[in-house]
Amino acid sequence: MPELRKDPIIGRWVIIATERARRPDQFTTEVQAGPAEKPCPFCEGSESHTPPEIYAIRPNHSSANGPGWQLRVVPSIAPFLRIEGDLDRQGKGLYDLMNGIGAHEIVIETSRHIGNIADLSEEQITKIITCYIDRINDLEKDQRFKYVLVFKNHGWKAGGGRVQHSRSQLIATPVNPKRVKEELAGARNYFLNHERCIFCDLIKQEIRDKERLIFDIDGFIAIAPFASRFPFEVWILPKKHSCDFTSLEMSMRIDLARIMQQVLAKIKKGLNDPPYNYILHTAPFRRQKIGYWKTLDEDYHWHIEIIPRLTRVAGFEWGTGFYICPLPPENAAKFLREVEV
Amino acid sequence: MSELRKDPIGGRWVIMDTDHPNKPEDYEYEPHTFKGGTCPFCYGNESMTPPEITAIREPDTHPNTPGWKVRVVPNKFPALAIEGDLERRGVGLYDMSNGVGAHEVLIESPYHQKDIPELLNQEIENFISMYCQRAFDLRRDSRFKYIMIFKNLGAAAGASLEHSHTQIVALPMVPKNAVEELKGAHNYFEYRERCIFCDLIRQERQEKERIILENELFLSFCPFASRFPFEIWIIPKKHSGYFCDVASIPQGIPALAAILRETIARIKKVFVDVSYNFIIHSSPVNGDGGRESYHWHIEFMPKLTRVAGFEWGTGFYIATTPPELAAKYLRET
Repeated sequence: MPELRKDPIIGRWVIIATERARRPDQFTTEVQAGPAEKPCPFCEGSESHTPPEIYAIRPNHSSANGPGWQLRVVPSIAPFLRIEGDLDRQGKGLYDLMNGIGAHEIVIETSRHIGNIADLSEEQITKIITCYIDRINDLEKDQRFKYVLVFKNHGWKAGGGRVQHSRSQLIATPVNPKRVKEELAGARNYFLNHERCIFCDLIKQEIRDKERLIFDIDGFIAIAPFASRFPFEVWILPKKHSCDFTSLEMSMRIDLARIMQQVLAKIKKGLNDPPYNYILHTAPFRRQKIGYWKTLDEDYHWHIEIIPRLTRVAGFEWGTGFYICPLPPENAAKFLREVEV
Repeated sequence: MSELRKDPIGGRWVIMDTDHPNKPEDYEYEPHTFKGGTCPFCYGNESMTPPEITAIREPDTHPNTPGWKVRVVPNKFPALAIEGDLERRGVGLYDMSNGVGAHEVLIESPYHQKDIPELLNQEIENFISMYCQRAFDLRRDSRFKYIMIFKNLGAAAGASLEHSHTQIVALPMVPKNAVEELKGAHNYFEYRERCIFCDLIRQERQEKERIILENELFLSFCPFASRFPFEIWIIPKKHSGYFCDVASIPQGIPALAAILRETIARIKKVFVDVSYNFIIHSSPVNGDGGRESYHWHIEFMPKLTRVAGFEWGTGFYIATTPPELAAKYLRET
């Protein structure tokens, strides 16, 4: 009998198919190469091919937009949102619109031509985490922005580009995205009823149940979530309560880098280097204003969601927000636990 | 300057690239092609599917043999099982139930290579009336709360078989997106005592720039806050909450067949052999229907882009062709 499982935070139902379930090893990636690679504008020495850098780690104080860097952030060459201008909110009959103001930045995660963050050192991933934090803090100063979305598209099928040079993206938006609002509302409702953080409760249960646990190391856990939408979906959560990713202290950044590296290496090895996305879920900017959400610090819990792109999402999922996951998360977790990296 | 537009019903913001909008030739999509092989949906292969639930047949032909025009069979690999009780239960923090529901496949025609635009109007009317018949029938099972009718055409759109077909799923709960849409429409109704979709139709007919086609009973247009380039809605002009009611409106099914055929024909003229999905959005069944405030419609999405992490994480979409431009291409093709 297939199961219907409910995501406890946002209330989405998922069908966990058991009859049509595939074995974990049946998900190996269909080799689907994207279009031919273009020359890489992200390697050391090609700095003039990107817009001028916003941020860089240059240990030997080399000059901006030249070689000698370990990590660089540049504006997107094809930004969806623009930094200059006013929002100019307006109505048009029934419809609401505003100007597309925002920031869209590219984090070039290494100066060498390496395609997958899983192949970078813990030390380098720690620098990437610090860079995310520095950039979010900087964008927060702009009062027009409410949220910064940090994400990665790895591989063509996951929306990645034509250049296989490891990078991630930051988009600052002038509105809180719908999905973020739903998650915050779900967490707040739980807190109102229980006066506990739903994510903290979830972490305790996962550590106790063990069957969906992939890692429990240092201050973090990695799990296959109970109501996974996709096969091998993985969440990484800090065990210590915190709503805000940017408050992560330095020693914890190294721990996060270690668990991210290990999880992504397991996905790469176990599933034959599949395309994937990861997305940072963190609290929106908390500026004091009327109606400010007073319990947000206590009720929300930042985390990272990783989605390997192994199946195609069809009309059913789009139309309903109702997903069919062909692999129970317990099986996915067991498989990933056993992959040696 | 690009625009941020808000979907008036679901409240979702969409980035509309009005600065450098993509033209149709800018999209590199994976075309729907026929690879051949034995097809369980073709004439003569009726024994390869589970026994048929119902069919429209030539007189004096038997079930599970040739002679049919439209055929409905259970999905061979159903996502939900028809027998059993829901048995809702909690596991610590988590809630779950058994996966009870119906999962049917409707084979629209016996022709392996014909998509909707290649069928005769009468053939389209046949399968639409079968949609209605199945929805009526499944509604009688009080365990079901929502009936979803949707079509995936082409591998890129998630279809596992290339012979054109539609899926019908009866769910024991109302899916999340439908709940949100109903809530949005309900809130608007509470405030203004008007259906938001009816207001939207009025505005679209006044402004005209997003309209593709219009006939006596239906409108097809590109929505203001399209999530996907060349997204299209087909909607009845007169208020109607529940999809099957189209069967009881004089000329309802022929008018729907005509606009569906012409709309898909136009999109396939602009994007040859494109894969697509459509989903019929209708009121829930066996409960609080929201029939006054909700208005059924079809949402059609050609599969032109890859959806990336940004969209997953945020529910915040980027449409690379504004609907005004998409509608213009589709009107003029």
